[in-house]
Amino acid sequence: MNALRVTWLFFKLGVLNEMQYRVNFFISVFQAAIALVTGLVVLALVYSHTQELNGWSQSELLCVLGIQILMGGIIRTAIQPNMTRLIEDVQEGKLDYALTKPGDAQILVSVREVRIWQVVDIVSGVVVVLVGLSRISTDVGPLDAAAFAAAMLFGAVLIYCFWLVIATVAFWVVNMWHAVELFDGVFQTGRWPIGIYPPWLRVGVTFLVPIAFAVTVPAEALTSRLDWQTLLLAAVFAVVFFAVTRWFWRFGLRRYSGASA
Amino acid sequence: MTVAPQSAPVREAGRVRSMVDLYLTTMRTAVAQQFQYRTANYFYMFGMIAEPVIYLVVWTTIADQQGGSVNGLTAGYFAAYYIVWTLVRNMNIVFGAPFWEHRIREGELNRDLLRPVLPLHYDIAYFAGWKVVVIVLWIPLAIGLSLVFDPSLSPNPQQIAAFGIAIWGAYLIRTMFQESLGMLCFWTTRGAAVFDLWMTLELLLSGRLVPLPLMPDWVQELSRFLPFQWAFYFPIETLVGDYSNMALVRGLLVQLLWILIGLAIFRVAWRFAIRRYSAVGG
Amino acid sequence: MTEPAVHVDALLKVFDVPEREAGLLAATKGLVRRKTRAVRAVDEISFSIEPGEVVGFLGPNGAGKTTTLKMLSGLLYPSGGEALVLGHVPSKRQRAFLSRITLVMGNRNQLQWDLPALDSYELNRAIYRIPREQFGAMRDELVELLDIGDLVRKPVRNLSLGERMKAEIVGALLHRPQVLFLDEPTIGLDVTMQKRIRAFVADYNARYGATVLLTSHYMADVEALCKRVVVIHHGRILYDGPLTGLADQFAAYKTIGVALENGNADLSQYGEVIHREGDWITLRVPKADTSSVTARLLTEEQVLDLNVEDPPIEDVIELVFAQEKPE
Repeated sequence: MNALRVTWLFFKLGVLNEMQYRVNFFISVFQAAIALVTGLVVLALVYSHTQELNGWSQSELLCVLGIQILMGGIIRTAIQPNMTRLIEDVQEGKLDYALTKPGDAQILVSVREVRIWQVVDIVSGVVVVLVGLSRISTDVGPLDAAAFAAAMLFGAVLIYCFWLVIATVAFWVVNMWHAVELFDGVFQTGRWPIGIYPPWLRVGVTFLVPIAFAVTVPAEALTSRLDWQTLLLAAVFAVVFFAVTRWFWRFGLRRYSGASA
Repeated sequence: MTVAPQSAPVREAGRVRSMVDLYLTTMRTAVAQQFQYRTANYFYMFGMIAEPVIYLVVWTTIADQQGGSVNGLTAGYFAAYYIVWTLVRNMNIVFGAPFWEHRIREGELNRDLLRPVLPLHYDIAYFAGWKVVVIVLWIPLAIGLSLVFDPSLSPNPQQIAAFGIAIWGAYLIRTMFQESLGMLCFWTTRGAAVFDLWMTLELLLSGRLVPLPLMPDWVQELSRFLPFQWAFYFPIETLVGDYSNMALVRGLLVQLLWILIGLAIFRVAWRFAIRRYSAVGG
Repeated sequence: MTEPAVHVDALLKVFDVPEREAGLLAATKGLVRRKTRAVRAVDEISFSIEPGEVVGFLGPNGAGKTTTLKMLSGLLYPSGGEALVLGHVPSKRQRAFLSRITLVMGNRNQLQWDLPALDSYELNRAIYRIPREQFGAMRDELVELLDIGDLVRKPVRNLSLGERMKAEIVGALLHRPQVLFLDEPTIGLDVTMQKRIRAFVADYNARYGATVLLTSHYMADVEALCKRVVVIHHGRILYDGPLTGLADQFAAYKTIGVALENGNADLSQYGEVIHREGDWITLRVPKADTSSVTARLLTEEQVLDLNVEDPPIEDVIELVFAQEKPE
């Protein structure tokens, strides 16, 4: 399939580009270490005052932390760089370069940038999850593992769609920089069980900014508390949102190119 | 109208009055400029409330689970703590290492060095003006948060007055230390690493993460000898806690002490930095 | 005799420039040990400028002009030698010194971007401690001289490049400095604007007796303003004297342009043919031979038109710059 090949090519280019900046690797490792230590300290602090939070034990919440870091790594490696570059291109009128290349524009703008050194986050996230899992009494069965993988996929797709929508809005509202800062802040909510949030916030981080689907649902899968309705909801939501996003993107693109809406 | 060449230089106004004049004029310039950017400022402040809201919810949950309080701190206290947190956090944003890097790299330092004033004065004055705008923008935000989270807040007039002074004390402490850190930018463009390390220490030891009484004892002991808590935990506590008048005054004096220590460090660092800059050029 | 405004003696500036080779191996080695090369950006130059003089600094990029200016304004420490501006050592950066000089760089902003220039002027007033009445008078006078009127009320970012430059100059002169360092002040501006600024500098110099050091790529700036030029190349002064003497020292020749009846004539016996266009031939002859060559041409050839010119200053400068670095 050509789309896949194009994707792979651009990914490779992006990686080669980033490989030039070796110092960035050390900086990424350093920052990942700091972020991890901070997260662990907070967790330890919380659990020095309580045994369980909203039904989640410390080891289980360690898994949640790991998944949040892991997902954050995926976002910062592959999703965010592309979306911020897209916003930038729209702001500076450089999008035309991308649009005049052959192939589907959405694929192009979604895969051309890669921050390969952020993979460090993915690695550290995986390590944390494994450590957390090793301390949970219940084992992770094949069904749970499959559910986890599926949930991660749906979560990643949803975050991608969310970001693409934000970037598409940049066609109309040129100054979208603040969105980036807002996202990073809101993404932090993923570290904690969403059950603790007031209802309005819970709805917000589920359907507005799909953090619950990105972090909590996979975590539930891994800790054997996921019910199939939630997973189904995640799947349906992912498919629907992807379709809507695609439509919105093409709508924005037509607008941008001057065609009547 | 011709003036004889090499005539006496234009008469300069008195020193102290000129300093005050400089600060006020710079502050006014900052207010005018930042007011133009009020939307951007608002977005930034808005994005910043995610952090305290999360902590607030977490600790309130724990408090509720434990029958109302954690270590004697109630849910209402947490709400108050983290709402006031949002203002103190903003007062803590000063001209630091990233700004210094930008200043050096973009050649602005040359412009600033040609002026007959220490850039430190300009930085303090400009950001102070900015803070005025921030405080004004913060008020509706605080009201909104209070409506949602129901803080228990009942300070007496002395505490309010102390708070008003303490937030500026926090601003100055942080300015001194951050400006000093910024001097590292004269030697390396990779100052980011040291900066991150410092920020992490600050995060853990200042009361930004949690109210200090919730930290283990050894951490609280360590904090006492560092400036961090005086720029964060102390100002919040003046309004949210129940310090006696004696404690308030003592705290403000300790703030003053840290400002002076930071200033001394900065002056030394500045001298070395300028020497280096003037040797290798911009 | 009054004390010179600027006095420079054996001024030296050496930079340690890292040497980096291409390739991975060199880069790794470079992490451990850095090879540096000492570059003499300013190589023991000496000169003196009297108060009220307008001096042009000419030199190609990298000649040492900007480095010299930076040392004279206190931004760089000299590696050796001595510099005195208005009796002060610039690198000490004393308040009394900084309040009497100004450095204007062609493509740098000193004004606040989003605010009207007037607000930036207020800031300068406070920074330089200019008494209010004096400030108001100076500001109004400068605004009128540069003819920017209402433009000072518009945010600086809304001004065109030329308008911005004018506003910058006003800001730079509010404290009535006695020494002006102008680094490429007309770069990027259109011809009318360049003329305007030149006229202004000349006027300011006449009114306040300020000393002006000007660097520029545009010969027109130097020709219009500077009676004296200092030519710098490879960190050394190649020439320091009147502009008119420049050609005498470096290009002792004149160009003779002649139109002949017979356009194809070979004139190489008279001098170096440097240009042919239609019937017009341009010859380059040594200065001393000018009259004899002219006379011969008129008698030996069918001349329709003839003129004799000094070599254009640009050509002279090019010749000067083309000189190889003396080892």
